[in-house]
Amino acid sequence: MNIEIDYTVEPEVVKNQPSHSSVNDAIAAPLETKPSIKYYIALGISGSLLLTGAICLGFSFYYGVGLWGNNQPVGWAIPIVNFVFWVGIGHAGTLISAILFLFRQRWRTGIARFAEAMTIFAVITAGLFPLIHTGRPWLAGYLFPLPNQHHLWVNFTSPLIWDVFAVSTYLTVSFVFWYVGLIPDLAILRDRTQSKVKKIIYSIFSLGWRHSNRHWHHYEMLYLILAGFATPLVLSVHTIVSFDFAVSIVPGWHTTIFPPYFVAGAIFSGFAMVQNVLIVVRKIFHIEHIISLDTLEKMNKVMLATGMMVGYAYGVEFFIAWYSGNPLESFVFFNRVFGNYAWAYWIMVSCNVIFTQLFWFKKIRRNIPIMFVIGVLVNVGMWFERFVIVISTLSKDFLPSSWGYYKPTLVDIGILLGSFGLFFTLVILFIRALPVVSISEVKAVIKGSQPQHH
Amino acid sequence: MNDKKYWKYFENFNSEDRNLELKQQEFSEKVTEEFRIENLNTLSRRKFLALSTATLAITTTACNDYRDKGAIVPYNKKPENVLPGIANYYASTCTACSHRCGILIKTREGRPIKVDGNPDHPVSKGKICSVGQANILNLYSPERYKKPLKKSGGKFSEIEWQSAFNEILQIFKRANASGKEIALITNPIYSPSFFAVLNRLQQNYPTTKIYVYEYFGEYAKAIAWEKCYGTPNFADYDFSKAKVIVAIESNFLGNEGNFVRNVREFAQNRNVDNPQHFSRFYSFETDLTLTGANADYRIPLPASKHFGLLASVLNEIVTNHSHKLTSNFPKEQLLQFSRNFNLHQFAKENGINPSLLTQMIQELVANQGKSVIISGATLPVEIHILTNLLNEILGNNVLLRSKAQPLIGLNKLEDFGELVRKVNDDKIGLLVNFDVNPVFHFPKDLGFEMVFAKVPVVTFTESETETAMLSNFVIPISHNFESWGDWITSDGDYSTQQPVIEPLFGTYQKEDFILGIIEGQLIRDEYHKFIMSYWRSEIYPNVNPGVDFEVFWHSVLHDGVVNSPAALSSLSKLNYDVVKELTPSISSGGWLLLLKKSYNNGDGKYLNNGWLNELPHPITKVTWDNYVAISEPSAKALEVNNGDILEITRNGKKLEIPVFIVPGIPNNCLVIETGFGRKNAGVIGNGVGFDPMVLADFATVSNGYVFSDVKARQTGKHYELASTVEHHSLNDTFVKDLSKTRRIVQEGTVEEFLDGKFKIHRAEDLRSIIPEIKYSGVKWAMVIDMNKCIGCGDCVTACNVENNVPVVGKEQVLRGREMQWIRIDTYFSGSQNNPSISFQTMLCQHCDDAPCENVCPVVATNHSPDGLNQMVYNRCVGTRYCSNNCPFKVRRFNFYDYRDHFANGFFYQDSLKLMQNPEVTVRSRGVMEKCTFCVQRISEARQKATEDGRPLKGTDVKTACQEACPTEAIVFGDMHDKDSELYYWRNHKLGYYVLEELNVKPNVTYISRLRNKNSEDIS
Repeated sequence: MNIEIDYTVEPEVVKNQPSHSSVNDAIAAPLETKPSIKYYIALGISGSLLLTGAICLGFSFYYGVGLWGNNQPVGWAIPIVNFVFWVGIGHAGTLISAILFLFRQRWRTGIARFAEAMTIFAVITAGLFPLIHTGRPWLAGYLFPLPNQHHLWVNFTSPLIWDVFAVSTYLTVSFVFWYVGLIPDLAILRDRTQSKVKKIIYSIFSLGWRHSNRHWHHYEMLYLILAGFATPLVLSVHTIVSFDFAVSIVPGWHTTIFPPYFVAGAIFSGFAMVQNVLIVVRKIFHIEHIISLDTLEKMNKVMLATGMMVGYAYGVEFFIAWYSGNPLESFVFFNRVFGNYAWAYWIMVSCNVIFTQLFWFKKIRRNIPIMFVIGVLVNVGMWFERFVIVISTLSKDFLPSSWGYYKPTLVDIGILLGSFGLFFTLVILFIRALPVVSISEVKAVIKGSQPQHH
Repeated sequence: MNDKKYWKYFENFNSEDRNLELKQQEFSEKVTEEFRIENLNTLSRRKFLALSTATLAITTTACNDYRDKGAIVPYNKKPENVLPGIANYYASTCTACSHRCGILIKTREGRPIKVDGNPDHPVSKGKICSVGQANILNLYSPERYKKPLKKSGGKFSEIEWQSAFNEILQIFKRANASGKEIALITNPIYSPSFFAVLNRLQQNYPTTKIYVYEYFGEYAKAIAWEKCYGTPNFADYDFSKAKVIVAIESNFLGNEGNFVRNVREFAQNRNVDNPQHFSRFYSFETDLTLTGANADYRIPLPASKHFGLLASVLNEIVTNHSHKLTSNFPKEQLLQFSRNFNLHQFAKENGINPSLLTQMIQELVANQGKSVIISGATLPVEIHILTNLLNEILGNNVLLRSKAQPLIGLNKLEDFGELVRKVNDDKIGLLVNFDVNPVFHFPKDLGFEMVFAKVPVVTFTESETETAMLSNFVIPISHNFESWGDWITSDGDYSTQQPVIEPLFGTYQKEDFILGIIEGQLIRDEYHKFIMSYWRSEIYPNVNPGVDFEVFWHSVLHDGVVNSPAALSSLSKLNYDVVKELTPSISSGGWLLLLKKSYNNGDGKYLNNGWLNELPHPITKVTWDNYVAISEPSAKALEVNNGDILEITRNGKKLEIPVFIVPGIPNNCLVIETGFGRKNAGVIGNGVGFDPMVLADFATVSNGYVFSDVKARQTGKHYELASTVEHHSLNDTFVKDLSKTRRIVQEGTVEEFLDGKFKIHRAEDLRSIIPEIKYSGVKWAMVIDMNKCIGCGDCVTACNVENNVPVVGKEQVLRGREMQWIRIDTYFSGSQNNPSISFQTMLCQHCDDAPCENVCPVVATNHSPDGLNQMVYNRCVGTRYCSNNCPFKVRRFNFYDYRDHFANGFFYQDSLKLMQNPEVTVRSRGVMEKCTFCVQRISEARQKATEDGRPLKGTDVKTACQEACPTEAIVFGDMHDKDSELYYWRNHKLGYYVLEELNVKPNVTYISRLRNKNSEDIS
């Protein structure tokens, strides 16, 4: 067995050294051909889910949030679980596009565009929940610092207001970053298209891009600045989301480990979601050579690492609960493991910590069906992590007299499904409307595209 | 325009004055000329203003959704004594049960909105129970009958008052003419005027017979007294003088006897500043009652053993302590009976510590004449006789208070059997149910339903009842608050009842109708005139106040009570021959069934009252249902858990009822509360609970409600019971005694306290990163004395009424969404078979560093300069973050618009809109709410202080809960006022804050409960 591997040479990011025009053709193909019946079926399914959610939401608006399972100790439940979950999903995109860009990880090019798009869709989905979960959603405008004749102002000590800023900033920056990256590709599409309407649209949005050296120079600089700008946001958004819990005085929420623990968890679940979706996309659009198995393997490695961080956080929480000597704290954690919601806790631990350990094996890391299943399980586990944090903690707090068990209703589940419907509908529309892989960036990493020094 | 000459006066006509012209034109020439929009060719300032004003006017009126809601009546001619925005209080008498407490009804703009006790009333002294307070909901109930109903062809149809009256008058006359009996069934008569009316009725219709009964009446006690003292009219004890109390299955603090007074007198001996004078209280009981929960020693004992207990205590006293007794009694005669009962053997057989019983006997003997032994209403005659014997030889009868007896007292229950027989023999011409519901009340084997087919029946009732449904005529009656009346208090004084509102639905008061029958003509307000003439001729001369009758009458109405010079009868000696016939009537072995009175439903009449249904049971916190309470081992033996349906059979009678496991109930005992399971109660009450009366025999209920020949088995069916708290087995070590280990409840014993060994745990060295806010002026705070709080829940009802707290219904309680702002937490600790129970009244603590405030994103909850944690409903978006962050979980969220959501918009019906307190916002859906420390009362007091030109004082304000608390356990006031009661208690050495370590700086102080038991007996 030959173990002399030269680690200084990076493996090819794009396999088979395709020609530049074939990359154009491959990536632009979905935009230039008529969608198949399968596409409509997929859109139909996700659209139905979206409709289900919309109907459930409509009922909730009409009758009140009483249609949900929330009760007196458990003021926050599935909608907040969904919020944190979707914000978490939104973390992979910016991490891939900004942080990995700064670290010059060239394997990111194949997946960056898609991951960024998913970030935006996930944050849009997530952003709905804080607004709809209020008792009077028609007054959600009160949550924004809008000047008004009553001289009423928001409360800047409330983490919910920090959320408003964190999430809206994140959405804006992610969107700008994504759009800037799209400009050269839009120009390529403008030059390729035969349709007059498309030409006008592409012309407007490509902002007069002519692939000139000067354009590229400005573009690279802007992209770099935006990447630098977006990088702290990856850390800040989920840190601030975790403050919703950490700033409170509820035992089980009031812990300092929450910010890193939430960020690690968010990247973990975000990667799992991106991995899942890309496995499907690369197959359908025959771009296995661009989004290669090597890329997927690298993502699995990230998941293994972040999964272990999350597992470490679980352990540390228990250690601190015991070590602090705070009986309220230790009760909460004991209750998580053995109490009413132990089932949720064990789903979380097995999905997030135990199953991901399979990624230690290279064969599994490179086995598409198995990694897909593990990716799904990770997201199930991460959803239940938020369930455990939000619901099991609230259901048993300080006074035993006010404890109460929470059960979700069908409406809760309908809205959860609706959130998946919204996300996937946006994803499905995206893959037919814009290039799912950055054409210009991929071209840059094909072997032979770079200046050679012989 | 100038052709015609317009004139107003003759002077004008002839005058050539220019003024005339001006009058015609209204505007002077130049002004109007200049102001012609069409003449203005440019968009001048005026044109612009004119156009924009017109546009504004058109757009605003066009979008206006104003609908004409009929006549608007301003207070142009102000009704006498009514000032808009100022409440009026009227003294009256509560008729919700037979105890006739004095009440003050608060009215705003002519509508009653709150009921409190009348402080001038000698018996109730300003306090009433939950039922009395919630009675206001019955007044406004949209389900009250509005018109008389006549049944024809099995269906009811509304008829006019006059024709109903005429038809019924004819039936009266016919029955009288044919010599058939007119049977009038009613509750005990305590009203002198109505007694006179009934006498006149009997004069005019000599065949009239009055039948009196009371649901769950204390028949067995009455029989025992008849045997012991020759009179069925038993007296009450003065608990304020009792040093030692032994209760046998008695719920004298919860719902038996005149419990409002009992509670007050009991709490007088629970003053922590006088710990030497704490009474010592033993309770032997099967059920876990509110009374037992407040006992120093609660000994679970099946009702079948009470006879043995009392007999062996008697034996012990007579054998070993008779030389210490000062009373005279035939020792030999007693010993003849008691010598077979050995105390030590009894203790051994029943697993009771014998030294506890000897200690109790020593204390009883040492406190002769200062102790009370009291037996519960459910127990059979022989137990009451034994109780009387013990009290007599201990000389405790000096604590008996002579008591006014009803003018018409309870009939023997056999009389009702006789009544049914007479109907079958066609000897009855008319049956009148005078505001009673015998079809529901009597055990089914009496066959009372059968009589309805055989005689004409007239039922007087406010709203639907089982009896009304079977009657030929249903006559709607006015509510208590719409009626006149007079009453004898249990101290023998007179109290008055006056209407505070015109009958809402045009009904007549029931006495008016009877007077109409006597006089042959139905006249409104006739009873009012009758009462006045009766008082003028009968009571006024007796009282002899030395003023005009008119003056006297108005002052009586103002005060609500007047002292009567009439002497009450005193007690005769006990007839010791009763000892000869003492045999236990309850056999032991098998399942033992106890039926008990409900806490909140009265005789079932209040089952249709949402507030009372939702008031949690004081022990189990179950709402909207009754259940069979059993012990955990018994539940295991039957293989059932909470909510599983049990089938209980007795003599072929069957009842299916869900189980609820209650610690501290002896094994093989079943306890069910009555007054539930009505079929025709109304929209709210139908289907609430199960009626256990189906198990009782009519023949034996006068001997108590304990049944020993009972079988129980599980059915495999399940039923959801809505409890406001989670229940954990006391064997569950995970959650056991958390209330103690978390120092939510801190308790000690009197002994420890006197020895200085009992120290309250206070959090020390608390530091805050938040700068302390300095308050000046009045700062509100509350103290709750857990020694006095008995956990009755009167404060909860008072708060509900005062603050427009909505009823949410069972399905929402099951979801954990009850809305009450104040709650009584009940904590069990110790062992499953003999737990110790602690109550804690929990409400918003108005923390100085309130954790709810800093997390609200819109500052909807914030702090007032006088230390209140306040809610701005209009600003609240409903994120519920505040509730999550509240360590006391006292915030309540409107998950729905509950007025709409509950029972299909029940509370949006017109009459109920009148019930709301106009000073308190009715909250919409999606809004958080919580205790405000009755901020509306604070504002009112502040306004009054400003008017009077003096600073606001802490004592100017009484919160609704404080006002209602029957034991004065709640103190409210200004923590900066060093002379105030509040300041004293807030800095008391037994005071502590709940969850003090969190350093949220609560403003509600709890005074530790001291139990008067030996420290080594603390489990």
